[in-house]
Amino acid sequence: MQKAINIISLFFITAIATHSAFAQHSGNYVLIPAGNYVVGKKNHSLNPLRTVQVDSFYIATTEITNRQFELFIIRTNYKTDAERLKNAMVFETGLNEFEWLNDTTACWRYPNGINRGGIEHKMEHPVTCISYKDILAFCQWADVRLPTLDEWEIASRAGAATDYFFGKTDDLIIYYANTWRGKNHLLADNSDGYIYTSPVASFKPNSWGLYDMYGNVFEFCSGKLSNSQNVNIAHARGGSWWCSKNACRFYNSVDIGRVHIHASFSNQGFRVVKNKLL
Amino acid sequence: MMTLFTKVHAQEEEVYRNPSKESLAYHDYRTTESSPPYGLLKIKKLIGQLKLKEDNEGGGLLALNYKTYALLSLREKFTYHLIHGEAYSQICDAYPPTQDEHKKIFGYLPDVLDEYNWSEGQLKFLRENRDSVMALIKECVTKKNHVGVNFKRAIVEINGIEMIPFLIKIYNSEKKDGDLLTLLNLLLRRNKDAAFLASATYKKLYGEEYSFTSFILFNKANEALIIKRATDFYNAKSN
Repeated sequence: MQKAINIISLFFITAIATHSAFAQHSGNYVLIPAGNYVVGKKNHSLNPLRTVQVDSFYIATTEITNRQFELFIIRTNYKTDAERLKNAMVFETGLNEFEWLNDTTACWRYPNGINRGGIEHKMEHPVTCISYKDILAFCQWADVRLPTLDEWEIASRAGAATDYFFGKTDDLIIYYANTWRGKNHLLADNSDGYIYTSPVASFKPNSWGLYDMYGNVFEFCSGKLSNSQNVNIAHARGGSWWCSKNACRFYNSVDIGRVHIHASFSNQGFRVVKNKLL
Repeated sequence: MMTLFTKVHAQEEEVYRNPSKESLAYHDYRTTESSPPYGLLKIKKLIGQLKLKEDNEGGGLLALNYKTYALLSLREKFTYHLIHGEAYSQICDAYPPTQDEHKKIFGYLPDVLDEYNWSEGQLKFLRENRDSVMALIKECVTKKNHVGVNFKRAIVEINGIEMIPFLIKIYNSEKKDGDLLTLLNLLLRRNKDAAFLASATYKKLYGEEYSFTSFILFNKANEALIIKRATDFYNAKSN
């Protein structure tokens, strides 16, 4: 009961058998009401402290999974950028910080390349190795959209004023996020049970019931940081399984990453938003 | 109920304050890339044709086709590789300007090539042609008296320790490019120089508590120390 009171959001189970197969699989959304919200951080050059006004929106409680993305592929026969261009960037233990390998065999079915295994037993993990362009195609098919940069931050903060929805420092991150706990990426780190992605909702949610807002996969958002920005750039937030204390550390509500719209990395994914639930 | 929904957090609001002019100018300086002059217009045109395709459906090609690439001279290939990345860059490796950037010697170099990065094939070219790459970098730097961040990164990639005296000479000519000191540190780190690994500088920049934004103060004492270590390392290797 207390938990229910604390969660200042509504959960909706979509029980409607609609034309959208996506809706059948992703039933959980949280309503974020219209209003004024404070986002950003003092002296952050990309994300300064400010108040923004947003309309209400429903945001999925989890990241989109391999199972959900597979349905999209089956229904549409869509070819992802990585499948088409053979340009996916993958990770293997032993690489220096921020080094990724181009693997022509990698795509959403084999997020770190065929040699490192497929998703057969990872259908509830977030889909990765997809580009911003691929995600837009998914969203169009599923009649959903990406959260804006501000919407994502509002949802991730769950009312908190601090860098993390659970406090000022990342001391509690192990309870809420699948991140890289090693000092560097030269040795494998599975101290949280996962080297790469984890099944969605494996860690504790924020107080609004949203899982994996930090870690697991970087989540793409819509929108630009400025009007003059390169059209080939997209933004993603929340950090990923790759992010560690020493490198990246973007598993928070403040930082904003950037990537080419055709780039496919094995730590990039997304969650979706709807303006209304049918 | 809706009142609850629309609550905002109580962080003190403020007008955004940029880093100082000096700090921003230094950020621009240290993130500037060098443009090799060898066939530059021709190479930029070829790259431009690639980038045009990226905006269209079905686009996204990043590398020149083999035939076009094979017809380039070694110097033109150098230009191509130094100004263009054929792979993508990770999404959190670009750090925005910070306060007092001009007063810091960082542990790592800034991001290069924006949202792109060098592919394995490109790194292979740099490594397999390291003597030529070092000679061409020297030639370019001598004319401009500036080592762009792409040149610095390339020197790290090819472990260009032979360039240490040249880099120190360039640094001493203006004594303002702290990333040249970073580059020296990175070369010593890469070569596991015992004196450097045991130093307080190493501990602060690359030790247990390091982060990608770790720095030491850009002052005369640190400058002298880094140059001395690099010189000692070079001399030991040369003897």
